[in-house]
Amino acid sequence: MPIHEKSLIRPENLLTHENLEIEGVDVSGHWSTFIESRVVTDYNEALEDEIAALPGGENIHRCWQCGSCTNACTVNALNPDFNPRFWIYLVRTGMEQELLRDKDIIWQCVSCHKCTYVCPRDVVPEGVMKATAHWLELKGHRPKSPSMLFDEVFSEQVFATGKIEEGRTLRGFFKRTGQPLTQDWLVEMIKRLLRHLPVKLMITLGLANVIQPRTRGWAGARAAIEEYVEEQEARQRQALGLDRPPATGAERPLAEAAE
Amino acid sequence: MNKPVLILGGGPAGLSAAHALASIGQKSVLVEKEDRLGGAPILSGYARLVPSREWAKDAIGGMVERVAGNGLVDVRTSMTVKEFSGEPGHFTARLADDSTLDIGTAVLCTGFTHFDPISKPEWGFGTFPDVVTTTQVEQMFSSGQGVRCPSDGRKPKRVAILLCVGSRDRQIGREWCSKVCCTVSCNIAMEIREELPDCHVYIYYMDIRTFGLYEDLYYWKSQEEFKVKYIKARIAEVTFDGEKLIVKGEDTLVKRPITIPFDLVVHAIGMDPNVDNMLLSSIFGVELQKHGHIARASTYSAMGATSRPGVFVAGAATGPETIDDSIAQGQGAAMAALAGAPAIKAAAE
Repeated sequence: MPIHEKSLIRPENLLTHENLEIEGVDVSGHWSTFIESRVVTDYNEALEDEIAALPGGENIHRCWQCGSCTNACTVNALNPDFNPRFWIYLVRTGMEQELLRDKDIIWQCVSCHKCTYVCPRDVVPEGVMKATAHWLELKGHRPKSPSMLFDEVFSEQVFATGKIEEGRTLRGFFKRTGQPLTQDWLVEMIKRLLRHLPVKLMITLGLANVIQPRTRGWAGARAAIEEYVEEQEARQRQALGLDRPPATGAERPLAEAAE
Repeated sequence: MNKPVLILGGGPAGLSAAHALASIGQKSVLVEKEDRLGGAPILSGYARLVPSREWAKDAIGGMVERVAGNGLVDVRTSMTVKEFSGEPGHFTARLADDSTLDIGTAVLCTGFTHFDPISKPEWGFGTFPDVVTTTQVEQMFSSGQGVRCPSDGRKPKRVAILLCVGSRDRQIGREWCSKVCCTVSCNIAMEIREELPDCHVYIYYMDIRTFGLYEDLYYWKSQEEFKVKYIKARIAEVTFDGEKLIVKGEDTLVKRPITIPFDLVVHAIGMDPNVDNMLLSSIFGVELQKHGHIARASTYSAMGATSRPGVFVAGAATGPETIDDSIAQGQGAAMAALAGAPAIKAAAE
């Protein structure tokens, strides 16, 4: 069933052959351009289950494709290619290759949750976007996004010490994202802090950086959290058919993250 | 005693009308052309009914029992009406065995005929054994056999339900929505998922019309609890590749042609006017509306009235109707039939 709607033809589906003969007819060259079929020939039922196994994706099967999420979407207003409704559909029908075409924009969801509030079926599209972005990373289709790296630095510190020390979080984040420590805005901020902050508070902040205090009796909580996180990650890897943990970040021992 | 009311058709509407009349002491004659009462739910072997999920043989069977055992209802099965004449309060009906009935009023509860999808050959019914109708799936459940591919008896791994087969289709002169097929399909989809949890069920739709309270109980529930998938596409054709049925169409939400393999394809068949409606129209002198259903004289002021005074209509004879609405209309028409006979009116005054 050919469709000759020009907008539906993708450049990569246009095929020309330098030398091709079919049943005695020469079909070489530009004048015999072929359009490769875009026909969907099967549903991959595993894809929806994989996304549903990741946090946020649990309700994806509820979607009835009304488009409220895309209508409400902050990012869609700026980039019409950012279409949560469409991606949810691709995941549900298992059109994986089609989904991967948009792999570089799916993570751009700003988590404003407008979609969450308009969705009549409580799909939580924001969660689905998060799960899909996570899926792309776990499957190795995308490097970890800056926000994912930040989440990791942040949560690893909490797991390790039971506390958050902003300076260390920032340093860890810069390190993992390959950013220099001496950024103009940061230098300016520190200068102003030095100028205006009470001496006692500065000493506390400084000490916190050096001593790295931990919440008292944190070991028990930490063990429980670690166990839970490992359990969840193992469950997710299994659901996604991944034998080994991803190569960076997540498998780093918590102790090392605490430094 | 008043003259009996003639009730034509022993389905949900007719059974309901007969019972309503008997419950206030009014005699009726229930004429049914098949050899037993119950109508489509019994004759076609429906399984569990919407919305109560009771088995048809229990729910409708109960209605049959209370009518069949009632001395005020004269049940004539395997019987039809040949001639009908007279005025309200003084009708005469001649039956197929040439006996005559002296009756006051009549209620036509003649129901519908299932659409025969052989009229849509491109969808493979009658060509491929594993293309079946919703009625056949109902029978698979009600017989206790469960859903199997008729070709070799295997359990299907993937089932497609095509909606609007014989409905909303000008090509075959059926411009109406058959009203029940969406809900029935949701119900069947859930039952398949319940029986065969590894079987994926896809419903191909143009619109989902599980009207009123069926929205969440059927449409939402089938998606949310049973993970039935809905694809917005009207299927172009069903073919066979030697192993699987191939469903072709356009997935309109992604603007993409699809050719998907399936084990079993189910046609959600619509409700046609009863094939006997032309005959009934001429015998009883009632008009049909443009689709061939028995025309109602008034939508608001006269419940169940036809174009002929003293002859009333209820249930799917007027157009696609649900079982519970048919039952309500049966009672409504029984009331109208009582009020419509002058003799009864005179007695009341």
